[in-house]
Amino acid sequence: MDAILLPIYIPIATALLVLFVPKKVRGVREAVVLAGTLANLIVAVSLFKSDLSYSIPWAGFGAFEFNLRLYHYSAFTIGAAAAFGFLISLYTCVFALNKSYSKYFYVYFLASLSFLNGAALSSNLLAVLFFWEALLMTQFGMIALGGKSAFKTATKAFIIVGLSDLCMMIGMAIYGHIAGTFNIGTNAISLAGFGGLAFTFLIIGAIAKSGSMPFHSWIPDAAIDAPLPFMAIFPGALEKILGIYFLARISLDMFKLDLNSWASYMLMTIGAITIIFAVMMALVQKDYKKLLSYHAISQIGYMVLGIGTLVPVGIIGGIFHMINNAMYKSCLFLTGGAVERGAGTTNLEKLGGIGKRMPVTFICFIVTALSISGVPPFNGFFSKELVYDGALERGRIFYLAAVIGSFFTAASFLKLGHAAFLGKLDKRNDKVREAPAAMLVPMVIIAGACILFGVYNALPIKFLIQPILGPGRLEGHDYSGFPANTMLVIISVVVLIGAVLNHIYGVKKTGKGISAVDHIHYAPVLGWIYSRAEKGYFDPYNIGYSAIDLLSVAAAWTDKAIDWVYNSFIVTVTDQASAAIRGMHNGSYKLYILWSLGAAALIVIFLIRAI
Amino acid sequence: MENNYLLAIIFVPVFGSILLPLAGRISERLRNWLALTFVCVSLAGSGLLVPALFAGKVPTISVALPLGFNFVLVADGLAVFMALVSSLVGAIIVLYSFGYISHYDNRNEYYFMVVLFLGSMMGLVYSANLILLFLFWEITAIASWRLIGFFREKTHVIRADKAFLITVFGALAMLIGFIYIYGKTGSFDLAVIKAALKSNPIPDFVVALILLGILSKSATLPFHTWLPDAGVAPSPVTALLHAAVLVKIGVYVFARLFVVTFPVGTVWLTAMPIIAAVSAIVSAGAALVETDMKRIIAYSTVSQIGFIFLGFAVGNGVGVAGALLFILMHGLAKGGLFLCAGIVEQNTKTKDITKMGGLFATMPVTAISFLACSFSIMGVPPFGGFFSKYLVFAGAVNSGQTFITMTFLVGALLTILYLFRLFNAIFLGEGALTSKEGSKLMVASVAVLAILSLLSGIYIKYPSDFVQMAVKQMMGI
Repeated sequence: MDAILLPIYIPIATALLVLFVPKKVRGVREAVVLAGTLANLIVAVSLFKSDLSYSIPWAGFGAFEFNLRLYHYSAFTIGAAAAFGFLISLYTCVFALNKSYSKYFYVYFLASLSFLNGAALSSNLLAVLFFWEALLMTQFGMIALGGKSAFKTATKAFIIVGLSDLCMMIGMAIYGHIAGTFNIGTNAISLAGFGGLAFTFLIIGAIAKSGSMPFHSWIPDAAIDAPLPFMAIFPGALEKILGIYFLARISLDMFKLDLNSWASYMLMTIGAITIIFAVMMALVQKDYKKLLSYHAISQIGYMVLGIGTLVPVGIIGGIFHMINNAMYKSCLFLTGGAVERGAGTTNLEKLGGIGKRMPVTFICFIVTALSISGVPPFNGFFSKELVYDGALERGRIFYLAAVIGSFFTAASFLKLGHAAFLGKLDKRNDKVREAPAAMLVPMVIIAGACILFGVYNALPIKFLIQPILGPGRLEGHDYSGFPANTMLVIISVVVLIGAVLNHIYGVKKTGKGISAVDHIHYAPVLGWIYSRAEKGYFDPYNIGYSAIDLLSVAAAWTDKAIDWVYNSFIVTVTDQASAAIRGMHNGSYKLYILWSLGAAALIVIFLIRAI
Repeated sequence: MENNYLLAIIFVPVFGSILLPLAGRISERLRNWLALTFVCVSLAGSGLLVPALFAGKVPTISVALPLGFNFVLVADGLAVFMALVSSLVGAIIVLYSFGYISHYDNRNEYYFMVVLFLGSMMGLVYSANLILLFLFWEITAIASWRLIGFFREKTHVIRADKAFLITVFGALAMLIGFIYIYGKTGSFDLAVIKAALKSNPIPDFVVALILLGILSKSATLPFHTWLPDAGVAPSPVTALLHAAVLVKIGVYVFARLFVVTFPVGTVWLTAMPIIAAVSAIVSAGAALVETDMKRIIAYSTVSQIGFIFLGFAVGNGVGVAGALLFILMHGLAKGGLFLCAGIVEQNTKTKDITKMGGLFATMPVTAISFLACSFSIMGVPPFGGFFSKYLVFAGAVNSGQTFITMTFLVGALLTILYLFRLFNAIFLGEGALTSKEGSKLMVASVAVLAILSLLSGIYIKYPSDFVQMAVKQMMGI
């Protein structure tokens, strides 16, 4: 068997194995899962640095073939995914040990890993779509496992992501039509004509998978309904890795993009809007997991913005931010899971002061919160600075949006940490204990990696990310080390200090960590907007659903009208016509003679004309 | 040898069906298994023709009759593909019927009509003569008329009449079109007609007349309303009519005449996709509003038929291949949905989805099969429906129909919405109805259809190879 197929086969084979493992023997299932994800990680790492291809005929016409290619970027992607996959399955084995959903969660999770590897390795668009869309089902399954109310959220996620996948399907069809091939990386097309449409539709697929606005609204719902490990691994890490991977491939390999093309501005605008609106929603959340879920949306904005700049520093920043975000965001969700397991709730109103009871979790939280807020020397700082640099080069407004986003990110994590871990210990939380080691190990490893990727950022940037762009695009630059633009660093530090001052002000005013941002939440105008946003008035899903309802009612009326023609109109016309004809046969000789004469006259006229 | 297979495929079920009522007088079991055997003869016979096709042969039987009439059967890729799909789904439906129909009267008539129906479908797909084709076309109309009104209630009979009248009206219009073509070319033989017409398009009004027949049989807007009404029939019959056979007759004849035989004016390259798009959207919207389980699935069929027409109408190999695969995938999955609906209906005694809910707990296999078939219809990989939908879209885009394709994007979204709405209403939430799982044979049938939907996607290479061969024959490339 070709080695390139292993990352697809190993997880799916493990998933099938889990289905048939007897549940009576304790721990066997967990052992199988760990062995499978570990094998996947080993294979992914050992394939790094190799360049492999694979091709077999598939759906036909010489165009829709099953082509795979493993090269630097796809190997990096599956490697990152495998690392998270292993660490989070280790965590899940303890977290979900006695949960009823654990078996099917593992099955879906492993199948997802296989599909993700397949999507990243595919070099034919149909193959990409095959694996990409297959993730719909496993995602649906994992959310639905959360319980009875979770099904609604699972459906919502399926519909939103499904719609974006359909868009991507059409984008691929148009791309293949213009480029004359469905293979990626062989023919970069321009945005002229339908090329622009293809680009837009492909982008919709990529950013919707990563959870960017306006395709985001299922994520906060899933934070409440879905099993926690799902949040940590999917919206937290893997979906971003895959979505941003494909976004970069579209922008770098599939299209010829100019710096001043509308495509670049479109991406940067989507990025900026996502950063600001999602972080504003995150700021006012009162639930640990829901707050994080809005950050999972907001952070994607930095990546889309960075890649959208189309300048090397921005693209490197965007991809670096993707991997950094996957680290700190999944770790943050894992701390959320530890808190949920320990305290039985993630409602911030009921938490508080548990930092002393859960010191390791608290430390991991601090490290990752500092990373996401962009505090030096943690990893998030360096990737954000690169994105800032790129954004500033393309327009002050985009830079401004990114910096405002950072302010609110820092403010909301100050609030979250204060409300959950500091303050007075509630009596209800008296028995809270630290999570078991198997849950702490993944958290500590990831938090450690956040520090490593910050302090030695040359390691990821030089070794992993810069080769993606290649020496041609880099033009001899090296973006590792301390940010080149000192001015930007000073501004960032000032913004962070501002966030701390804001927090101190808020806490002084209300006396509670959880209310630290109330002065923003209930500010004039903003309060009005927030109350509507929380009722779902701005949810694109709800708006779209209302439009679809209108459309379907109109369609149903059209259908009824057509049916009326058959059921009433034709019947009435037939009845009346036959009644009229019956009236002509009333037994009156006079009438019959008139008919006969009339017919005879017609025959005569016909004969005369014929002559 | 192949010619004997060809005769057996058609005439074993057609004449065999007459024996079934007699067999039923001797033993129920004998009749049931005999019915299944007849259908399996068609399936196996068509399967045996496949090697010949891949060897480049086209088995043909031709007997000349006076006045330019002839009896001609041709087993080309398109015909064998259609025959395989309909007899495969037909056989599973007959198996399911063993359990389902045993609860009702007039079983002899039921098996007689079903097998006659499938046999005439075989005759129709292998006919290469317009009159022969028309003959089998009308036999299917009569059989479906009897089957829709099977339960003999007054409203049922009226709806059966409605279906019959609409499809026969279309068929007569089509017959006028055939006669015009006879007048032009002096033959009803498709090969002779093709040679005589060369690349001269036939007049638009003749295309329109023939389309009347096709659209009414395939339940496309505005001739579709008989199909949701036909949901009063026994569930295996609705599966047979709506999913596997009857509605596919129209699209098959469309492919046979307008893709393979007749050159048509360029206006139809635009007009046909528009008709298909309107049909797909309006019926999908109606499916989202309906509350009767079987009507929803029927509207879904009308909508999906639009996708098949789109694939055939765009006139390139990828689109045609997509449409052929669509016939297969839709037949399997939609057949599965109707049969699942049959189990639910028989156990809960209702078709109103507002009264259902929570059936997942009591009928898990049916629920999972239903969900799997739904995924295939939505076009979610690794189910087979993914490939057919993608190829139809790619074909439409390749022929420059980008805007029409966008309309179908809405249709595909609506498909996801109404199928989830249906699944949600039947199987999830809370419900007051008590229910139990259907009989083993019935549940096995739906599970087989769900599994086939999955396998046809994972092993797409095999149906795809066959379809490519058929497309090469059809398009002459």
